[in-house]
Amino acid sequence: MVEQVDLHADIGEVLLGEEEIQTRVAELGRQISADYAGKRLTLVSVLKGSLPFMADLMRVIDIPVRIDLMEVSSYGGKSTESTGLVRILKDLSASIAGEEVLLVEDIIDTGLTLNYLLRYLRGKGPASLRICTLLDKPARRLVEIPVDYTGFTIPDQFVVGYGLDYGELYRNLRFVGVLRPEVYGAAE
Amino acid sequence: MAPGRPRARPHRPGDPVHWSPMDQTAAPRPAFAHASEAEFARILDFYEVRWEYEPHTFPILWNLDGAVVESFAPDFWLPDLALYVEMTTLRQSLVRRKNRKLRRLRELYPDIRIKLFYGRDFRALMLKYGKLGLIDEMSGTLGQSTPAKAGPATEAPLVTAAAAPATTPVGPATVGAGRTAGRERVTPARRRIDDRTVSRAVMTEGGSADG
Repeated sequence: MVEQVDLHADIGEVLLGEEEIQTRVAELGRQISADYAGKRLTLVSVLKGSLPFMADLMRVIDIPVRIDLMEVSSYGGKSTESTGLVRILKDLSASIAGEEVLLVEDIIDTGLTLNYLLRYLRGKGPASLRICTLLDKPARRLVEIPVDYTGFTIPDQFVVGYGLDYGELYRNLRFVGVLRPEVYGAAE
Repeated sequence: MAPGRPRARPHRPGDPVHWSPMDQTAAPRPAFAHASEAEFARILDFYEVRWEYEPHTFPILWNLDGAVVESFAPDFWLPDLALYVEMTTLRQSLVRRKNRKLRRLRELYPDIRIKLFYGRDFRALMLKYGKLGLIDEMSGTLGQSTPAKAGPATEAPLVTAAAAPATTPVGPATVGAGRTAGRERVTPARRRIDDRTVSRAVMTEGGSADG
């Protein structure tokens, strides 16, 4: 029998409401449309967390865009324990050589994954490579990476929802919330 | 310079790295003082970030004769990021002592970029990677994964206060500044959403929204 999880009950507080997110995403879309006017833009979404953000963002951008998806293994993930090194789980489906590329992330904290991805994508010869993230958590930063488009700068709390997960759950919440510490066994 | 003060220069970007994920078979794993350090090294390896373990010792206090009486050896040097990382996951009394040494380090070597990893930072990292269970195994005496290595002051090159500003990587310290930067660099267009300091970032053309 599948254990029932009350997703909403596990949220300590709503950090960013649905309307707030959509308003900001629309602003980002307008800004990106203006910045890339007259150019052909490729949006690259980093799975899985950025999926809702990507889906909403691409629909508020009013210039022609191509989209592509990537997925990289995460430290601690079961699929990576054998190698001990980060791996590309899903690569781009088309070349980005000579293309204007905007990497779409859900959250940037340490910057380790993004640092790896940028090195990888730069090797594919895009005309430009910029970064758009919904959430930025600078308190956790190890690798300083210039971010071109930031939705929200958030405090140092563990957040889920709108694509972000804990144990692969909570991604389908329409808001971003702070997970209650007792959910992950860390009552503080 | 006081007599007797060492003249060795600090590590510079581009200098040889003693250990990196690329040469795991060529060099023995360092003897980490704490299991959290070993775990952090594995994370860096995973993301292919080169590192060295306690490669440099910075004198921070001298006696009247110019002899070093206190020094500080950050746990990790990440040459590609020009960043030192110090892990502080131990008892609060030790954290206070380490904070004091870190303040002194910053006074003497203002160009050094160093990130202090507190227990809560490491805990957050483990939570992110779904390895929170490791925390309990690492706490207290059980966390001492390997015997303490020999005093780094005898192994690592010493850095003088006079030499450091001219030769160390330039850049603001990351500790605290990272957290503060996101708030201090608020532009008029970045408005506060609520009292939990969730701030809306303003986009900067070709630059960073938050640094």
